[in-house]
Amino acid sequence: MTEDADETQVRRLKAAVHYTVGRFCQKIGEEHRREFSRQAVAAIAETTFRQCDIFAKDLEAFARHGKRTKVSVEDVKLTARRSAALSNYIQNRSEELALQHNDLKKTTGKKRRNTEEDTRE
Amino acid sequence: IKGSGQASLKYETVSKLLSSFFKEDKTKLSADAVVLMTEMLKVFVTEAAVRSQKQAESEDCNQVEIEHFEKILPQLVCDSVGSALLLF
Repeated sequence: MTEDADETQVRRLKAAVHYTVGRFCQKIGEEHRREFSRQAVAAIAETTFRQCDIFAKDLEAFARHGKRTKVSVEDVKLTARRSAALSNYIQNRSEELALQHNDLKKTTGKKRRNTEEDTRE
Repeated sequence: IKGSGQASLKYETVSKLLSSFFKEDKTKLSADAVVLMTEMLKVFVTEAAVRSQKQAESEDCNQVEIEHFEKILPQLVCDSVGSALLLF
Protein backbone atom coordinates (compact mmCIF):
# COMPACT_ATOMS: atom_id res chain seq x y z
CA MET A 1 0.00 0.00 0.00
CA THR A 2 2.62 2.53 1.08
CA GLU A 3 4.88 1.47 -1.78
CA ASP A 4 2.07 2.17 -4.21
CA ALA A 5 1.59 5.60 -2.64
CA ASP A 6 5.32 6.28 -2.96
CA GLU A 7 5.27 5.25 -6.59
CA THR A 8 2.35 7.55 -7.39
CA GLN A 9 4.17 10.35 -5.58
CA VAL A 10 7.34 9.74 -7.62
CA ARG A 11 5.33 9.62 -10.84
CA ARG A 12 3.64 12.91 -9.95
CA LEU A 13 6.95 14.58 -9.16
CA LYS A 14 8.46 13.30 -12.41
CA ALA A 15 5.46 14.64 -14.31
CA ALA A 16 5.86 18.04 -12.63
CA VAL A 17 9.56 18.16 -13.56
CA HIS A 18 8.79 17.03 -17.11
CA TYR A 19 6.14 19.74 -17.49
CA THR A 20 8.39 22.54 -16.24
CA VAL A 21 11.35 21.37 -18.33
CA GLY A 22 9.02 21.36 -21.34
CA ARG A 23 8.07 24.97 -20.71
CA PHE A 24 11.70 26.02 -20.31
CA CYS A 25 12.63 24.29 -23.56
CA GLN A 26 9.71 25.86 -25.39
CA LYS A 27 10.75 29.30 -24.20
CA ILE A 28 14.41 28.89 -25.12
CA GLY A 29 13.42 27.28 -28.42
CA GLU A 30 11.15 30.17 -29.32
CA GLU A 31 13.96 32.65 -28.74
CA HIS A 32 16.07 30.84 -31.33
CA ARG A 33 13.26 29.69 -33.66
CA ARG A 34 14.02 26.10 -32.91
CA GLU A 35 11.81 23.40 -31.44
CA PHE A 36 12.85 20.76 -28.95
CA SER A 37 11.85 17.21 -29.90
CA ARG A 38 9.73 15.36 -27.35
CA GLN A 39 12.59 12.93 -26.79
CA ALA A 40 15.01 15.76 -26.06
CA VAL A 41 12.62 17.26 -23.50
CA ALA A 42 12.11 13.86 -21.88
CA ALA A 43 15.87 13.29 -21.67
CA ILE A 44 16.49 16.69 -20.07
CA ALA A 45 13.66 16.03 -17.60
CA GLU A 46 15.05 12.61 -16.66
CA THR A 47 18.55 14.07 -16.19
CA THR A 48 17.15 16.86 -14.01
CA PHE A 49 15.33 14.30 -11.90
CA ARG A 50 18.51 12.31 -11.36
CA GLN A 51 20.46 15.49 -10.68
CA CYS A 52 17.96 16.16 -7.88
CA ASP A 53 18.91 12.82 -6.38
CA ILE A 54 22.59 13.80 -6.38
CA PHE A 55 21.81 17.27 -4.96
CA ALA A 56 19.57 15.83 -2.25
CA LYS A 57 22.14 13.24 -1.13
CA ASP A 58 24.83 15.96 -1.01
CA LEU A 59 22.61 18.32 0.98
CA GLU A 60 21.73 15.59 3.46
CA ALA A 61 25.39 14.65 3.90
CA PHE A 62 26.45 18.29 4.42
CA ALA A 63 23.69 18.85 6.99
CA ARG A 64 24.69 15.68 8.84
CA HIS A 65 28.32 16.76 8.81
CA GLY A 66 27.18 19.99 10.47
CA LYS A 67 25.30 17.84 13.03
CA ARG A 68 21.94 19.10 11.84
CA THR A 69 18.85 17.36 10.53
CA LYS A 70 17.66 20.52 8.76
CA VAL A 71 19.29 21.45 5.45
CA SER A 72 20.39 25.10 5.62
CA VAL A 73 21.38 27.77 3.09
CA GLU A 74 25.05 26.99 3.86
CA ASP A 75 24.54 23.42 2.67
CA VAL A 76 23.11 24.68 -0.62
CA LYS A 77 26.15 26.95 -1.04
CA LEU A 78 28.43 23.95 -0.58
CA THR A 79 26.51 22.04 -3.25
CA ALA A 80 26.99 24.94 -5.67
CA ARG A 81 30.68 25.48 -4.86
CA ARG A 82 32.19 23.66 -7.89
CA SER A 83 31.03 26.17 -10.45
CA ALA A 84 32.23 29.71 -9.80
CA ALA A 85 29.37 31.29 -11.74
CA LEU A 86 26.70 29.20 -10.05
CA SER A 87 28.30 29.71 -6.68
CA ASN A 88 28.29 33.51 -7.12
CA TYR A 89 24.69 33.44 -8.29
CA ILE A 90 23.56 31.40 -5.29
CA GLN A 91 25.61 33.60 -2.95
CA ASN A 92 23.88 36.73 -4.29
CA ARG A 93 20.44 35.18 -4.03
CA SER A 94 21.08 34.07 -0.46
CA GLU A 95 22.21 37.60 0.45
CA GLU A 96 18.99 38.97 -1.09
CA LEU A 97 17.00 36.49 0.99
CA ALA A 98 18.87 37.50 4.15
CA LEU A 99 18.15 41.18 3.43
CA GLN A 100 14.46 40.42 2.95
CA HIS A 101 14.38 38.66 6.30
CA ASN A 102 16.12 41.58 7.99
CA ASP A 103 13.57 44.01 6.56
CA LEU A 104 10.76 41.82 7.84
CA LYS A 105 12.33 41.65 11.27
CA LYS A 106 12.77 45.42 11.37
CA THR A 107 9.15 46.14 10.44
CA THR A 108 7.78 43.66 12.97
CA GLY A 109 10.22 45.04 15.57
CA LYS A 110 8.96 48.58 14.94
CA LYS A 111 5.38 47.45 15.21
CA ARG A 112 6.11 45.83 18.52
CA ARG A 113 7.78 48.99 19.79
CA ASN A 114 4.86 51.07 18.58
CA THR A 115 2.34 48.94 20.40
CA GLU A 116 4.50 49.12 23.53
CA GLU A 117 4.45 52.91 23.30
CA ASP A 118 0.71 52.82 22.77
CA THR A 119 0.18 50.81 25.91
CA ARG A 120 2.43 53.19 27.84
CA GLU A 121 0.37 56.15 26.72
CA ILE B 1 21.40 33.40 -17.83
CA LYS B 2 18.96 34.73 -20.32
CA GLY B 3 15.46 33.52 -20.99
CA SER B 4 14.63 31.71 -17.78
CA GLY B 5 11.42 33.73 -17.48
CA GLN B 6 8.41 32.84 -15.40
CA ALA B 7 8.43 29.10 -16.05
CA SER B 8 9.58 27.68 -12.76
CA LEU B 9 9.13 24.81 -10.40
CA LYS B 10 6.94 25.36 -7.38
CA TYR B 11 8.72 25.48 -4.04
CA GLU B 12 6.42 22.75 -2.83
CA THR B 13 7.44 20.47 -5.70
CA VAL B 14 11.16 21.08 -5.13
CA SER B 15 10.73 20.41 -1.43
CA LYS B 16 8.91 17.12 -2.03
CA LEU B 17 11.35 16.15 -4.77
CA LEU B 18 14.45 16.61 -2.61
CA SER B 19 12.81 15.06 0.45
CA SER B 20 11.94 11.97 -1.57
CA PHE B 21 15.67 11.39 -2.17
CA PHE B 22 16.79 11.81 1.44
CA LYS B 23 17.95 8.60 3.05
CA GLU B 24 16.59 9.53 6.45
CA ASP B 25 13.04 10.63 7.15
CA LYS B 26 14.13 13.08 9.82
CA THR B 27 16.10 15.21 7.34
CA LYS B 28 14.21 18.46 6.72
CA LEU B 29 14.75 21.48 4.50
CA SER B 30 14.77 25.10 5.66
CA ALA B 31 12.49 27.43 3.66
CA ASP B 32 15.45 29.43 2.32
CA ALA B 33 17.24 26.27 1.24
CA VAL B 34 14.18 25.35 -0.85
CA VAL B 35 14.18 28.80 -2.50
CA LEU B 36 17.87 28.46 -3.39
CA MET B 37 17.53 24.89 -4.62
CA THR B 38 14.70 26.01 -6.89
CA GLU B 39 17.14 28.54 -8.35
CA MET B 40 19.81 25.87 -8.72
CA LEU B 41 17.47 23.58 -10.63
CA LYS B 42 16.34 26.47 -12.79
CA VAL B 43 19.98 27.15 -13.69
CA PHE B 44 20.56 23.47 -14.40
CA VAL B 45 17.56 23.10 -16.74
CA THR B 46 18.35 26.39 -18.48
CA GLU B 47 21.95 25.33 -19.02
CA ALA B 48 20.82 21.99 -20.42
CA ALA B 49 18.33 23.61 -22.81
CA VAL B 50 20.61 26.47 -23.94
CA ARG B 51 23.59 24.19 -24.57
CA SER B 52 21.43 21.67 -26.48
CA GLN B 53 20.02 24.48 -28.56
CA LYS B 54 23.52 25.74 -29.37
CA GLN B 55 24.56 22.23 -30.37
CA ALA B 56 21.59 21.99 -32.74
CA GLU B 57 22.47 25.42 -34.11
CA SER B 58 26.08 24.40 -34.78
CA GLU B 59 24.80 21.39 -36.73
CA ASP B 60 22.31 23.50 -38.69
CA CYS B 61 19.33 21.54 -37.42
CA ASN B 62 15.86 23.04 -37.19
CA GLN B 63 14.92 20.88 -34.26
CA VAL B 64 16.78 20.14 -31.05
CA GLU B 65 17.07 16.35 -30.94
CA ILE B 66 18.03 14.00 -28.14
CA GLU B 67 21.42 13.52 -29.88
CA HIS B 68 22.21 17.20 -29.36
CA PHE B 69 21.46 16.89 -25.68
CA GLU B 70 23.52 13.70 -25.44
CA LYS B 71 26.52 15.54 -26.84
CA ILE B 72 26.42 18.30 -24.22
CA LEU B 73 25.45 16.03 -21.30
CA PRO B 74 28.92 14.95 -20.06
CA GLN B 75 30.19 18.51 -19.77
CA LEU B 76 26.92 19.64 -18.18
CA VAL B 77 27.16 17.02 -15.46
CA CYS B 78 30.86 17.77 -14.89
CA ASP B 79 30.11 21.47 -14.56
CA SER B 80 27.28 21.03 -12.09
CA VAL B 81 28.73 18.38 -9.82
CA GLY B 82 32.28 17.31 -10.39
CA SER B 83 31.69 14.60 -7.84
CA ALA B 84 29.12 12.70 -9.89
CA LEU B 85 31.25 9.66 -10.56
CA LEU B 86 29.70 6.67 -12.27
CA LEU B 87 30.94 3.44 -10.75
CA PHE B 88 29.51 1.12 -13.37
